[in-house]
Amino acid sequence: MEELAARIARYVGRCIPDADEVEVKELERIHGGASRETYRLRVTFRQAGSSQQRRLILRRDPAGSLIETDRATEYRAYQAFYGTSVPVPEPLWLEESGEWLERPFFVMEEIQNCEASPAALLLPPYAEHLERIGEQKWRILGEIAAADPVALGLCTTSQLPAAESCWERELGHWEQVIDEDELCPQPIARGAIRWLRRNPPAAAAKLCVVHGDYRTGNFLVAADAEIRGILDWEMTHLGDPLEDLAWSINRIWCWARDDRVGGLLSRERAIAIWEEASGLRAEPAALRWWELFASVKASAIWISSGREISDAKSKDPVLAFTAWWLPNAQDRVTLETLGRFS
Amino acid sequence: MKPDVDRVLQLLSETLMFDLAPKLQDGYAQSTAQITAMLLTAATEEWDRGAQRRFDENAAIRALFREALGVVGKPALRSDLEASLKPSDANIRISALERENNELRRVLIRLHAHVEELEGEAARSLEDGIWAELLESTVRRKISIAPF
Repeated sequence: MEELAARIARYVGRCIPDADEVEVKELERIHGGASRETYRLRVTFRQAGSSQQRRLILRRDPAGSLIETDRATEYRAYQAFYGTSVPVPEPLWLEESGEWLERPFFVMEEIQNCEASPAALLLPPYAEHLERIGEQKWRILGEIAAADPVALGLCTTSQLPAAESCWERELGHWEQVIDEDELCPQPIARGAIRWLRRNPPAAAAKLCVVHGDYRTGNFLVAADAEIRGILDWEMTHLGDPLEDLAWSINRIWCWARDDRVGGLLSRERAIAIWEEASGLRAEPAALRWWELFASVKASAIWISSGREISDAKSKDPVLAFTAWWLPNAQDRVTLETLGRFS
Repeated sequence: MKPDVDRVLQLLSETLMFDLAPKLQDGYAQSTAQITAMLLTAATEEWDRGAQRRFDENAAIRALFREALGVVGKPALRSDLEASLKPSDANIRISALERENNELRRVLIRLHAHVEELEGEAARSLEDGIWAELLESTVRRKISIAPF
C-alpha cells in the first residue's frame, strides 16, 4: 500500500496546479463494486503557502472483474450529471494509460459520512427512513430517464440507438456474455432468452441515459436519509428507460426479504414515483419484458464472476461468493417473472 | 475423515466469521474474511447433498426424455434423447455426475426449444413438465444464505 500511495501522490501532484509536498494518507481499499478496484484516500498538500487536504476515491481497472467496461464512459456519466438534480460525486481526473498505476483509473471527490450497504440501510439510523429513501431513489431514476443525453453532452442525435431495436442490442450483448462465460448449461436463462425473442417489447417511448446498475447498494445515503450520490455507472449506456426501472425492481434486490423492491418500497409505489418524475408511463407488457431481460442480464453477470474464478483471472473471494450466492436465486426470479414459479 | 467434513467446514466458517474477522484492522480484509466464511458455510451445505442432488436430477431429466420420445418426431433429437437415457456408468464421483448432468441439460435445452415450437396438448404437457423440472432444479441447488 505504501508504494501505491507514493505513486498516487506523484500523480495527484501533477494534477493539482502548484501543489507541493503532496502526500497520500489513510489509503485503504474498499468494497466499491466488483468491476473496479476502489480505494479511499486523503491527500494533503501545500498550495499558495497554505496546507490543504482532499478526500478522494480512486477507481482502478482490475486484472479481473465482473463486467468489462470502458472507464471513460463511466467517467463521462459522472461529468454529465455532476451539478444536476441527479447527485453524483465530482469527477476529477481520468487516466487512461497504465503509466502511473499500471492500469487505467479515475479519481473522484469522496462523498463523506454516507452509507451504501443494503444491509446497513436496514438498520438504524436508516431503517426508519426506508420509505423516504425509496421515494428519492425512484424520483432520481425518473430524472435520469427525463434527462436529454444529447443536451448532457453524452452523445449526438445520430449516435442514439434505434428506439425499435435497442432491446435487441442489449439482449444480444448479454446472451453473448452467457455464451462465452457459462461454466455449465443454463436451461432457465436460455428459455427466458427464447421467450424474450419471441415476444419483443414495444419501441422505447424515448431514448435516454440508462445507468445500467441502478439498485440499492449503488447510492450513498447520509444519516439524515438524504441520497447524496448515485454511484457505479460502469454499465451506463443509451437505451430504453424501462431497462433501468425493471433492473431497479428486480426481486434479487429485495434485501429485506419481503416484497419491497430494493428493500424500500412497494413495487406499485416505486413505479408511480418513477412515472411522475420521468413523465413516462411504465407500460406493463414492456416493463415485464425488461424485467425478464434484467434477470437474464444479472444471470450473465453472475456467470461471468464464476468464469473469472474458474479461469484464475481473479482471486477475489467476492467473485466466488457471487458465483455461488446469486445464479440459482436469479434463476428462481426468472421463473417467477415467466409465471413458472408454482 | 472424522470429524465429518461438513462439521469441520462449519467450524472453520464460524472461527473466521466470529473470532478472526473482528480482529482484523483493515476494513477490506475484514469483509473479505467474512465473505470467505460465508463461502465455507455454503460449501458445508453442499458437501453432503452434492452427489445426491445430481443423481436425482439426472434421473428426473431422463424421465422427461422418456416422455419426450412420445412427442418428438425429429430424428436427430430423438436419437440424442435415446442415447441419453442410459446412465453412463457406476461412477458416482461428483465430477462424473456433473459431467453427465451437463450433457443431459444440453440436450434438455434443445428439447425445450423444440417442444415450444410444437402444437398440441402432449407438447404443452411436456413443456409444463420441463418448466416444473427446472423449478425443482432450483430447489435442489438452493443454499440457505441465498436471497430468493
